[in-house]
Amino acid sequence: MNRRINLSYGLNFILSLLLPFMLGAIIIALLGHDPQEAFRELFRGAFVGRLSLGTTLQKWVPVLLTGLAFCITSQVRYFNIGVEGCFYMGALFSAGAGFLITGLPAYLHISLCFLVGIFAGAIWATIPGMLRAWWQVNESCSTIMFNYVAIQFASFMIVNPWSAKSAASQTVPILPSAALSRLMPPSRANSGLFMALTLYIVVFWAIKKTRLGFKLRSTGGNPFFTDYIGFDTRRIVVLATAISGAVGGFAGSIETLGVYGNIIDGFSGWVAFDGMLAALISKNNLWLLPVYSFMIAALKTGALGMERFTGVPKALIDTLIAILIIFLTMENLFRFRFSRREGGTK
Amino acid sequence: MEMLSSIFTYSLLHATLRMSTPVILATMAAVVSRQGGITNIGIEGTMLFGAYFGFVSAYVSGSWIWGLAASVLAGVLASAVIGVVHLKYNTHIFVTGFAVNMLALGLTRFLLQQMFHVSGALLVDRPVTLPILRLSIAEGNPITASLFSSYSLFEPLAPLLVAGVWYGLYRTSAGLRLRSVGLHEPAARTAGIDVRRTKMAAILLSGVFAGMAGAHLSMGYSSMFVENMTNGRGFMALAAANFGGGNPLYACLGCLVFGFSDSVAIRLQSTGFPAQFVLMIPYLVTVVVLTSAMIGHLRRSDAARIARKLADEVRVDGKHADKTW
Repeated sequence: MNRRINLSYGLNFILSLLLPFMLGAIIIALLGHDPQEAFRELFRGAFVGRLSLGTTLQKWVPVLLTGLAFCITSQVRYFNIGVEGCFYMGALFSAGAGFLITGLPAYLHISLCFLVGIFAGAIWATIPGMLRAWWQVNESCSTIMFNYVAIQFASFMIVNPWSAKSAASQTVPILPSAALSRLMPPSRANSGLFMALTLYIVVFWAIKKTRLGFKLRSTGGNPFFTDYIGFDTRRIVVLATAISGAVGGFAGSIETLGVYGNIIDGFSGWVAFDGMLAALISKNNLWLLPVYSFMIAALKTGALGMERFTGVPKALIDTLIAILIIFLTMENLFRFRFSRREGGTK
Repeated sequence: MEMLSSIFTYSLLHATLRMSTPVILATMAAVVSRQGGITNIGIEGTMLFGAYFGFVSAYVSGSWIWGLAASVLAGVLASAVIGVVHLKYNTHIFVTGFAVNMLALGLTRFLLQQMFHVSGALLVDRPVTLPILRLSIAEGNPITASLFSSYSLFEPLAPLLVAGVWYGLYRTSAGLRLRSVGLHEPAARTAGIDVRRTKMAAILLSGVFAGMAGAHLSMGYSSMFVENMTNGRGFMALAAANFGGGNPLYACLGCLVFGFSDSVAIRLQSTGFPAQFVLMIPYLVTVVVLTSAMIGHLRRSDAARIARKLADEVRVDGKHADKTW
């Protein structure tokens, strides 16, 4: 790639990033608040102090992992909107394992809870995967439906059999032996962060360097060719959905074991959609995924602080994130012709 | 048995139509864009915009006509954003669609807080709704009253709209052009069709229908605005359009299946069946319907493929005959 084109690309990126914030500043000013102060609180709410930074890190984990889960299936061109369902299933079943299984040492109990969550997520993701592999059922529709089914199922388990019988609908808290250790005490950041980062590196390596990763990428590149050279593309698609579901379930388990200690009805707030958007704006580039997911987590955390201290509503930041995503994905929004000779390439 | 007879009564027909109508309107949006080769995943958000702006402007102006106009306008504007961003700036339609869905959620929540200082739901004392059609002859008898009277404006209009969309797609030259773009873009371009313009028109028309669906949701189906009140209906519409293979008549049939399962679900709930399992039913039905549609489709296309291969074999004249299969 030509250096000059990259410069244009970078400028495009920076302007796309700045424009929504400028728009936000204007809206904040129109609402009668001080934009400078609002953005300062946004920054402070995301990074300054143990509580803020810890919360950002805590929110980063599910966004990163669900984004990663989305990227895995994208390798085989499977548009997996169903990570949210796997996230719920993982969280639900590891919560169940967290209080139903007793008398185990912590390391065994935690591993068991994770295992249960991972399996729950993997199995849940495999169903639409099989439907797609064998009957070409459009996954972008079926996975959305599976999300709603998973959420309703979780809600049933939370309200009825596993209920803590308290005012809020939530499950019985997990035993201390299943809880992950906290990193920055006032916040809910936990050792799940390191597990998530390790998993991210392992998956990254597996996709780029292993035989399995090659199979996935080859299926995404040209399924007919992959079939022809002797790989069973159907099985590869199902395998990809299973791995993706496992990662989603793992993310859910971290939420239960590390953050909440039980599962509350509607606890996730569609966090997997944030992860999916992070994956989409990074265009499935695994290098960029952590950056974008961190940015989304920081914005969401900072928005809470901004709302608390300046009264600028959090919904505004959600709106701005959506606008930011639209701008970031637009190609050549701001056109810069640095090089006439290369004009034809774009 | 008693439970069954309390569920399957004559009023189920009205209930089915009632539950289906928002999805039918949204499905027409999905069908039109699908025929142009676009999976318009932003219908959900477009509907939500339509629902919000329709309800608010009807409330402010006191007239449902202004509300409906505002809904359609909001739908067209939202889909214009999708269209321009997708077609002019080459984004993935899923990304743009999802961003618009997110934008609709965030923006309606923000406006609700700023304009009315409420969060969650907007309930007003005297909500302005779409007119309810009453047939005075049928009112006397409860059965005929249930079957023929007190429909909200869009409920009897929706089947007509479906027929209209079908006519437009399959019996007019504009519909033929749209379908040819969806079927094979390069061929359409060769035939002199402006592909981008046709697609843009399809997206805008889809915005009109999605806006109408939103208006019906907040002013006909219910008489309030609730955050995220579309609740997956836009996605269901996509599933229905998929099920119908882009044909509005079959897609509408899919919607009626959803509406039926939805209204049975509500009745089951009153019999003490766990609510969560009842609420799952429409989503599970969607998956089952999609799968069965695909299995049928694959059977048919398998037959077609074999026929094509046989024809190819004859054409290659024995040159590659040893490895055609």
